[in-house]
Amino acid sequence: MRSFTLIDFVSLFSALRWTVALVVLALTFGAPVALGLAMGRISRFKGLRWAMAALIQTIQSVPLLGLLFFFYFGMPVFLGIQVPAIIAVTVAYTLYTAAFLGEIWRGGLEAVKQAQWEAGACLGLSAWQQFRHIVAPQALRLSLPPTVGFLVQLIKGTSLASILGFVELARAGQVVSAATFQPLLTYALVAAIYFALCLPLTLWSRSLEARLDGSR
Amino acid sequence: MALVEIRDVRKTFGKTEVLKGVSLDVEEGEIVTIIGRSGSGKSTLLRCINALESVDSGEIRVEGQQVHAKMPDLKKFRQRVGIAFQAFNLFPHLKVERNITLAPLLTGRIDKSKARALAEDVLTRVGLADKIDAWPEQLSGGQQQRVAIARCLAMAPHLMLFDEVTSALDPELVGEVLKVMEAMAKQGMTMILVTHEMGFARNVANRIVFMHQGRVWEQGPPAKLFANPETPELASFIASAK
Repeated sequence: MRSFTLIDFVSLFSALRWTVALVVLALTFGAPVALGLAMGRISRFKGLRWAMAALIQTIQSVPLLGLLFFFYFGMPVFLGIQVPAIIAVTVAYTLYTAAFLGEIWRGGLEAVKQAQWEAGACLGLSAWQQFRHIVAPQALRLSLPPTVGFLVQLIKGTSLASILGFVELARAGQVVSAATFQPLLTYALVAAIYFALCLPLTLWSRSLEARLDGSR
Repeated sequence: MALVEIRDVRKTFGKTEVLKGVSLDVEEGEIVTIIGRSGSGKSTLLRCINALESVDSGEIRVEGQQVHAKMPDLKKFRQRVGIAFQAFNLFPHLKVERNITLAPLLTGRIDKSKARALAEDVLTRVGLADKIDAWPEQLSGGQQQRVAIARCLAMAPHLMLFDEVTSALDPELVGEVLKVMEAMAKQGMTMILVTHEMGFARNVANRIVFMHQGRVWEQGPPAKLFANPETPELASFIASAK
C-alpha cells in the first residue's frame, strides 16, 4: 500500500485520453450514420423507413455491454474473425451512437411542420435544399437538449470499454484505488472529472439553444 | 392561350371526390377569386395549380406547360408561380431578409451582392422596409403575411396564388394584407385567390368563380354575380356570407 500521490493524479488524467478518444470515435463515425438513419426514418419510401426502424430497434434493445461483447468476443466465435479491440469498440460505440442519436434527430425532423418543407418547395427549392436550409436547422435546435443529454450518457458509457482492456477514466480509477487503498478519494476524484467533463457540455448546450433560437 | 388552363380536373382523397371535373381558364393579368363553402374543393384546386397536389385525371396547363408533381422542371416552374398560405409559413429560424433571399440565392436567381437590395425592394412593395432585420415572430400576423407575399415577389412570379391568406388574421389586420394584394393587382399581376373576403372579391376581382361540391357552379364578373346569382346555391352562399 502506498499513499495517494501526484502520480495517481496524473494517471487518472492521462486515462482521460481514452475516454475522450472513445467519445470522438463514437461521434465521428456514429453521427453521420445517425443522420442517415434519421433521414431514412422520414423517407417517403416505406421499405426504407421500415428497415431503418428495425435496425434502430435492434441496436437500442441490446445493452452497450452486449454490443462490446458481441464484436470483441462474439465475432471470432460466430464468424471466425479476430477483431482488434480498437475496431470492436469503434463499431460498438458507432452503432450505439447512431441508433440513439438517429432516433433523437428523427424526432427533431418530424417536429418541424410539413408546411415548412412545402413552403420551401413552393419557392422552387430542391428536397435537399429544403432539408439543408429550412428543416435541418430547425430540427437541430429542437434536438439539441436530448442530443447533449445523449452525449453525457456516451461519456459515461465509455467506461464499459474497460472490459476490453481500455484503461480509460473508470478503469484507471479502479487501478489507482487498488494501489492506494483509498477508494473514497479516488472515486470522488473520478466522479469530479466526469462531472467537469459533462457540466460544460450542458451549459454550452443551453447557450447554443439560446443562440440558435435567435429571436428570443 | 390562357395563362392557366384547367381541363376537367378530378381529385379524390381517400373515398371523397374533392374535385369532380373542374374546368377553368385564367387569362394573363386577370384577378380571379374563388369562393365557396369549406369543402367545396377551392383550396385543393389552388394547390393543384402549382403541383402541391397531383390531379387524378384531367389536366392543368400553366403557360402552356402541363403541370404535375413529376414534371421535369418542377422547381423552375414553381419559381414562376408564387403561393401564399393561410398560415404564412415563414421560416422561423431566419430573419426577414434571409426568409426573402434564401430561395433567390439558392436557385441562382441573384448573387449575394444583390440580395439585400432585393429584400429591400420587395419589402418596400409590401410596406415593411423597416422590418428587414426582424425575426418573423416579432411581427404581427398581418406583417408576417406581407413578408410571405414579399418572399414570393422576390422570385418575380408570373402568377400568384393566395390560399385564404387573411383567414388566420385578426380582423383589424386583414386590411393591410388586402391593400398589398390590391396594389399587386393594379400592377398587372395575374392572381388566383381563394378567399372569404367578399368585399375584396367584389371590388378588386375581374371574375368570381363560385365552387360548390367540387364543381365550378357559377362564374362571372363580380357585379353580375353578386347582384343576380343564377343558382340558389350561390344565392344562399352570398346571403350567408353577408
